Amino acid sequence: MASVSIDNPMTRGKQEKRSKPSRLAPNYWPFVLPALIVIAAVIVFPWVFTLWMSVNSWTLGQPRVFAGFANYVRLAQDARFWESLWHTATYTVLSVILPLFLGTLAALVFDAKFPLRGFLRGVFVMPMMATPVAVALVWTMMYHPQLGVLNYLLSLVGLGPQEWIYNQSTVIPSLVLVETWQWTPLVMLIVLGGLAAVPREPYESAEIDGANAWQKFRYLTMPMIAPFLMIAVIIRSIDAVKSFDIIYAMTQGGPGTASETINIYLYNTAFAYYDIGYGSAMAVVFFVIIVALSFVLLMVRQRANWSDVENR
Amino acid sequence: MAHVNIQNVQKHFGPVKVIHDVSIDIADGEFVVLVGPSGCGKSTLLRMIAGLEEVSGGEIRIGPREVSNLPARDRDIAMVFQNYALYPHMTVEDNMGFALKLKKVNPAEINGKVRNAASILGLDKLLDRYPKQLSGGQRQRVAMGRAIVRDPQVFLFDEPLSNLDAKLRVQMRGEIKTMHQRIGTTTIYVTHDQVEAMTMADKIVVLHDGYIEQVGAPLELYDRPANTFVAGFIGSPAMNFLNGRIEEGVFRTKQGLVLPLPQDVPSTAGGRELVYGIRPEHIRAVPGGIEGKATLVEGTGSEIYVRLDAGGEDIACLFRERLHINFGDTIGIAVDPTAVHLFDRQTGRRI
Repeated sequence: MASVSIDNPMTRGKQEKRSKPSRLAPNYWPFVLPALIVIAAVIVFPWVFTLWMSVNSWTLGQPRVFAGFANYVRLAQDARFWESLWHTATYTVLSVILPLFLGTLAALVFDAKFPLRGFLRGVFVMPMMATPVAVALVWTMMYHPQLGVLNYLLSLVGLGPQEWIYNQSTVIPSLVLVETWQWTPLVMLIVLGGLAAVPREPYESAEIDGANAWQKFRYLTMPMIAPFLMIAVIIRSIDAVKSFDIIYAMTQGGPGTASETINIYLYNTAFAYYDIGYGSAMAVVFFVIIVALSFVLLMVRQRANWSDVENR
Repeated sequence: MAHVNIQNVQKHFGPVKVIHDVSIDIADGEFVVLVGPSGCGKSTLLRMIAGLEEVSGGEIRIGPREVSNLPARDRDIAMVFQNYALYPHMTVEDNMGFALKLKKVNPAEINGKVRNAASILGLDKLLDRYPKQLSGGQRQRVAMGRAIVRDPQVFLFDEPLSNLDAKLRVQMRGEIKTMHQRIGTTTIYVTHDQVEAMTMADKIVVLHDGYIEQVGAPLELYDRPANTFVAGFIGSPAMNFLNGRIEEGVFRTKQGLVLPLPQDVPSTAGGRELVYGIRPEHIRAVPGGIEGKATLVEGTGSEIYVRLDAGGEDIACLFRERLHINFGDTIGIAVDPTAVHLFDRQTGRRI
């Protein structure tokens, strides 16, 4: 007899649960083995090795000595590490907030209909396609105190020259500006997708309920695109916290250590000073920080997601 | 509550005119249904009353105010949409209280009004749910609750039952009518379903291609349709139309079928092409009557719908008594002459 299957999420879940084998039959192993080997080689082994290195004192060219938690204790007492942690936090927060604000604004603009919208949207997303190192080189030239175009532009409006990345107090905001320039389009695309998915009918209800343009934005648009903003925040946060290329290519953590984030400090420790053990301990702590951040963001995302209410 | 007056309202979309000089007078507390087939302009007219479409000409008054150029939010109306248009990110309670929140009504008062509306509609236990967690009927009730909480001068309904299944539609129909009797707010209701129009309205406005075909009480439209369009649209199954002329005191169809006439046929009806209208339910099965061969038989238990080929004319009949008719059977029928409608064939108007 013919049967009709209905795509019901409730029953689908149950069926999946039923059809899932309780354990892998031994004769399947040869098929799974290649993937397992690759995972073990490129993910598991480096991690285990890093963990192992972090409890050893090992400088390249010298014998390795088991050190227990000495590297971690040293890390806790290392002022430069705490400073780099602060730089990372500042850099990350600014590199999330600015693109988020500007990207949302741009998405609202590109959501409206106007002539040449498609072309201008194409131009707007171009920075995202450039290689970070190339971007860094171009911006380094633009930031040049004597020859850079930015100081020239400032002079046109009667402002004095700035030192941008060559000054300890302005280096992080200047790097954030580059990051913002490159990644605002990504946020714009995510939010634009969100705006396209927002149902239009509630706006008519709101119109009748007495909402003005600002109230429609505040009470309808913002909450309805909140899940998309959260996705943008997650992607940007994870990206910004592990940002390396732009900073390394532009300042290498300088002037002094003014723009040294954990990533740069870690790189310098492991590959400039060859202190592999201490660098590994730093990598482990950094990993824990990223996992914790992702976890917190995912928790917040679930709370912000009205379209997912039945799964709560 | 308010009286609504629509005077010579027009709507153009570029060169296309979709509403032609429509005028309707709606009394305070009246339940008016705008009915017509798809594309007749009924939803556009409702949206113009709501302020969601601009008025191209004429004026709309709600109470003493001319509202044609006012934004929707200043018209003091509430609207229930076909697709409910609930705020998906708000709970039922927030959905219902949103308009009051915008008006900066104090939270205790909002809460009281929301709970009152929820109890009228049986939504008490669903106040903290999201629209996604509700069934179609429940969502429809929330949309109605949102309208009730506003306590507006006019309720507007835009095909609110179209997305519900048949059983729920009948139930919600009753609930809307009960709500109107209880609250008494002037209501304008758009539907393409003539059964909804007949069962709910105090007054029906039949629209066709942007023109009003007839305005009247449901039974008035049923008993005295102004033209063939209204006659065919109101009533289910639809009225039979047979072309022919009056000859020697009877109606003779083109195929030669002879049918009885009512007593009060005006003298002007003679000598011209006419349309003879008779509703399927006004035809009785009578042994020895006009003979017809059954070409379709549909029984529902309470009634039986039969299509007959009677002398080359296709006639639909609806019998309320339990008859045993099979496909191909020949049966006799009689037409109730008091229920016959005559229309001019050229103009379609009632004679």
